[in-house]
Amino acid sequence: MANFNLRKAEPKDVPDILRLIKELAKYEEMEDQVILTEKDLLEDGFGDHPFYHCVVADVPAEHQKVEGYSVIGFAMYYFTYDPWIGKLLYLEDFYVMKEYRGFGIGSEILKTLSDTAVKNRCSSMHFIVAESNKASIDFYKRRGASDLSLQEGWRLFRIDKENLLKISAEE
Amino acid sequence: MDFTIRAATLEDCKDISRMILELAEYEKVPDQVKITQRDLEQDGFSKNPFFHGIIAEVPEHHKSREGHTKVGYSLYFYTYSSWKGRAVYMEDLYVMPEFRGKGIGKALMSKVSQLGLAAGCTQLNFTVLDWNKSSLDFYLKQGCWDVTSDLGYHCMRCEGDALEHLAQGDL
Repeated sequence: MANFNLRKAEPKDVPDILRLIKELAKYEEMEDQVILTEKDLLEDGFGDHPFYHCVVADVPAEHQKVEGYSVIGFAMYYFTYDPWIGKLLYLEDFYVMKEYRGFGIGSEILKTLSDTAVKNRCSSMHFIVAESNKASIDFYKRRGASDLSLQEGWRLFRIDKENLLKISAEE
Repeated sequence: MDFTIRAATLEDCKDISRMILELAEYEKVPDQVKITQRDLEQDGFSKNPFFHGIIAEVPEHHKSREGHTKVGYSLYFYTYSSWKGRAVYMEDLYVMPEFRGKGIGKALMSKVSQLGLAAGCTQLNFTVLDWNKSSLDFYLKQGCWDVTSDLGYHCMRCEGDALEHLAQGDL
């Protein structure tokens, strides 16, 4: 694979970003969980105070393997904070279309993100991976990632909207 | 006991820094805290803050043994779920030992939930250490669920040399 280009996402990329989000969710067998819309992505990523940032990988027309798609990979990230060590970069989603894997696109995306982390004085890059996703876990461990759930016993907890409403209404 | 919950201000950074250290000392790792009061002021109270804080305060006549009236805090920031959109992440929740059991922790969490909902968030996320039984019980009672247990998601981290190598494109 010769050419691909990594760049910051623009508002026009939103339909492709949503398409790729759904493809990744399908790969994780969670496709029905995606309720985000193009309108949400546009408002939340390209307003005055974006909730997320995105890089996209695109290929020129002559290299398109899948009809009509030039955006073939993406990563969604945002900045978080650890009161002990300061700024962190959190990788929310990271995906390359099946037809374009094995050409170093994923590695290049990760390199760009790590570079962004270092340039923004982030001590660390965090993300979650499903324990059943052995291929991804190996990919990350080869690059020096450590599994905090296993090594330090961290468990991710969540409160969904229904219970958030209950908690916020309590006196 | 009377207490108030309010948004943290620049002036609260001294007490937030003190309580961050107290929490680290309790976890027997105070040397891991690299962030100073000055860092908190810059990172939390500039034009683009990396976190937000809320403080629990008691009246003068209820001050702590060492004379503090700011007795609890929570640090949170906004994140993004590629499936559901806006989310809020509660990074720290702490109440000084002598003020526990009075509903302060619950009130801090309730405030974060309210603020999250007001900002359009549909979930509140946070991590808990698997040995911290009293915290695990507290959160499960509030209607949280353990994403690591139920969905098998592990928290991963890439930091220090690994992050630098990744940024330089070494494998």
